[in-house]
Amino acid sequence: MTDITHHDTHDSHGAGHGHGEGAPQTVWHHAWTRPGWWRVLWTTPLFFGIGCGLVTLIRWAAHWDPIWKGQPITTVALVTVPVGFLVGLGGFDFWTHYAGGLPTQAEDHDSHGAKTWKDYFRINTDHKVIGVQYVVTTIIFFLIGGFFAMLFRAELAKPGDQYFNPQTFNVLVTNHAALMIFLFIIPAFAGLGNFVIPLMIGAADMAFPKLNALSYWLLPIAGVMLIVGMCTPGGGPSAGWTCYAPLCSHQPMGQIFFNMAVQWAGASSIMTALNFLVTIITMRAPGMTFWRMPLLVWANFTTSMLVVLATPFIAGSQFFVLFDRVMHTNYFESSGGGYVIGYQHIFWFYSHPAVYIMLLPGFGIISEVVSVMSRKPIFGYRLMALSLLAILVLGFSVWAHHMFVAGMAGWLRVPIMVTTLLIAVPTGIKIFSWLATLWDGKIHMNTPMLWALGFIAMFVIGGLSGIYLGSVPIDIQANQTYYIVAHIHYVLFGGSVFTIFCGIYYWFPKMTGRMYNERLGQLHFWLTFIGFNLTFFPMHYLGLRGMPRRVADYVPQFAGMNEFISIASFGLGASTLVFLYNMIWSWARGPAAGDNPWRSMTLEWQVSSPPPIFNFDEVPQVVGGPYEYGVPGARHAIFGTETPAPVLAE
Amino acid sequence: MRRGAILQLVLLALIAAAITTAVAVVIPWMPEQASKEAQRINFTFWFMTIIAIFVFSIVAAVLVYVVLHFRVKPGDLSDGPPIHGHTGLEIAWTIVPFVLVTAVAVVSAVVLSKNSNAGPNPVKITVIGQQFAWTFKYPNGQTYPILRMPEGEKVQLKIESLDVLHSFWVPQMMQKQDAVPGLPTELTITPTKLGTFPVICVELCGLGHSTMRSEAVVMSATDYNSWLQAKPAAAAGGGSGLAVFKANGCAACHTLTAAKATGTVGPDLDKLSADAAKAGQPLNDFIKTSIIDPEAYIAPGYQGGIMPATFKSSITGPALDQLVQYLASSTK
Repeated sequence: MTDITHHDTHDSHGAGHGHGEGAPQTVWHHAWTRPGWWRVLWTTPLFFGIGCGLVTLIRWAAHWDPIWKGQPITTVALVTVPVGFLVGLGGFDFWTHYAGGLPTQAEDHDSHGAKTWKDYFRINTDHKVIGVQYVVTTIIFFLIGGFFAMLFRAELAKPGDQYFNPQTFNVLVTNHAALMIFLFIIPAFAGLGNFVIPLMIGAADMAFPKLNALSYWLLPIAGVMLIVGMCTPGGGPSAGWTCYAPLCSHQPMGQIFFNMAVQWAGASSIMTALNFLVTIITMRAPGMTFWRMPLLVWANFTTSMLVVLATPFIAGSQFFVLFDRVMHTNYFESSGGGYVIGYQHIFWFYSHPAVYIMLLPGFGIISEVVSVMSRKPIFGYRLMALSLLAILVLGFSVWAHHMFVAGMAGWLRVPIMVTTLLIAVPTGIKIFSWLATLWDGKIHMNTPMLWALGFIAMFVIGGLSGIYLGSVPIDIQANQTYYIVAHIHYVLFGGSVFTIFCGIYYWFPKMTGRMYNERLGQLHFWLTFIGFNLTFFPMHYLGLRGMPRRVADYVPQFAGMNEFISIASFGLGASTLVFLYNMIWSWARGPAAGDNPWRSMTLEWQVSSPPPIFNFDEVPQVVGGPYEYGVPGARHAIFGTETPAPVLAE
Repeated sequence: MRRGAILQLVLLALIAAAITTAVAVVIPWMPEQASKEAQRINFTFWFMTIIAIFVFSIVAAVLVYVVLHFRVKPGDLSDGPPIHGHTGLEIAWTIVPFVLVTAVAVVSAVVLSKNSNAGPNPVKITVIGQQFAWTFKYPNGQTYPILRMPEGEKVQLKIESLDVLHSFWVPQMMQKQDAVPGLPTELTITPTKLGTFPVICVELCGLGHSTMRSEAVVMSATDYNSWLQAKPAAAAGGGSGLAVFKANGCAACHTLTAAKATGTVGPDLDKLSADAAKAGQPLNDFIKTSIIDPEAYIAPGYQGGIMPATFKSSITGPALDQLVQYLASSTK
């Protein structure tokens, strides 16, 4: 298994193991031709020109009028410009040289690891650098998405039009959700997983480091595309993040940016998931059987299968609405024989599993933190892993519960309701197993643990409101209202975002080698916890009483409660500043954390903080389960020349 | 587990249950129920709420107990007991939730089947959604911008859309159904209370979405029947220009002082004369063209492609002439 690691990271087609100085002589002399930001400056416009030229040429050859047309050019340019950017940055250099028979750049590991801050701004093949790139980038998009929420909450504080017209309001709502889902929650887990998974399973890196670098760089492309799309002539994407046909095919041009941004984010997601799967299957350290893997690895293994199987469906749905618009096809245009509800079936066939893509990695993080911070083994380890797989399977059979009032085939309602309600069973198993793990433990109430306990409490509320929605009759009343807004935020904020914060605080010492400020961490938790509940709990009420979601204006009856929610949401937004200050200050000035501040058993804590460039100086030999706290003499792994301990419980 | 621990846990769970029950009962979560369907949905809601209180109280009690009793003092580096699991407990918390959700599923399925049953002879009304207005077509063939239903009778709504997705909802009736272009859908409502209730579009349908509202008026069966026979002349197609203006949702996007309309999505209709002058067309021609072919002239400062192109087929004949006359006479 380690053989593969060795082969890939020490990859050397061409010139062999040259080291650093006297860099390869051929074409790499000038800043303009070396992979990097200078080259980006000319490859990006070049590929824009290629895109425009291609469309114009075809239109000219086919005698289509006008030859120069905005929509097809925009569509094609949104493919070619990012490719140009990646070419400039060097994302394809190795493969194009290799495929073209040219000498490939010597693999001298200079694309591995980070010595200065500049190394975070280039193609880097080190999973630890990529993990940090992911987490920092996604937090930036989290801040932007959160800022949008502050803006439209200001608008919603009073009925009537205050600051934004309906178009701008819809754009803010659409991009708030799109940024939070596609550019924050999903990739933030990919980032944490990227950093932690190879370390946890005892591998030197991911299975495909160059693919890993590429999948990161697709992410800023998708994010910038969404944000630039807001400023296009005619207005940004304003059909909501669900982008339902046929409305979205008749939106201003910004909608094309949305459709294409989802493709880039989706491609990034699929590539990372494939990488995780191959890494977890083939690169586990000797002795790391599946039943000895930490639950975070189990969680990402399951999530990656969901991503690989489901993400092509949202790609399809976005392509089809785009084709309806640009190429005048009729996938979802009823006037041309299209099937309008078909869009929703395809969209939710991804987007419901996506809810689990946004939750399962968080479940993994909570399992790590709850076990370590209560100094006890995970209660029912195998059932915990199996319940992840049960969620994976059931997760594919519940998509249509988003469509109980959509007008789909009537008979489908009851079977989908049954599978939806059944998901409560494996989810319940996880909740109760965490509670049993906590029971009789030695609870350390530090910041990661606070987030974990907060998550359990909030996710139970989100899960229960989900059972209300699973019941078709209640869903008929609650669907498309603020009840949905409340539910989705209890699940994706009280659920996913709490676990992301939990993971960031938990692994911060490992990633940076420094300790965050505990007091500020706890302050951040309490401000967020209180602000979150004050903001979102009243929304259940608003929805059931008659306030639809996605409205810029509402009846005066709801004015008081909306004003309250807006004020609470500003408090919630402000709590993020505490987090930012803590992270930035602690990264620069925090005290040294030590290798294993939590006294955890899993492998990532057995190496230095931050870990050495290839993770392990000696290959670990895994000899037991990952959570054997309290078992006398138990070890998860031994290193090098140590003699294995006697027989160990698993 | 010590007996004291169980006692404390039960006590904590009871406190949590008392608090959540108070929250559930004191706050009026559901609107008044103005239909038989709403009464059944309300029952399902409370059935589910009892289960939710039960589950939440257990989790809350354990969390609070754990934090109160098992917190370590700073510097305590000991480990907890190495308990790896308990088969009996694991089976219990697989089966109990299974039974609970099965109960929810059975109750929901029964309620759903009752609520979707329109019976042998329902009152049939067609609901037509378009950007950004509802119109209602009655058995006598007339259309009208307000939904009127007889109390105590089953009403079967056939829901259609002329452009994009909309969703028909009356919160007090607790029934909701999307309007899908090209695919008529159905919804059953049995009103039980006289009065006026809001009809709301709950599917984002474009810029005027939040203004796409109408009213559902529940009348006694006799009033309804006499209204149905007496009212044919007042339907949207044959009414005044103002009625056509209102029935087609123009007010959602346009300002027109005469109609008390204050929409700001599209051009201000009080300034129609000025716009017609800019476009270089006679006023009446300009208004007519702008209704049936909105892309023909785009007023400065506005975007094309936003006003629905469906009015060409939905406002025709005398109704169109009346609307044009009305607008021409109302503009300043």
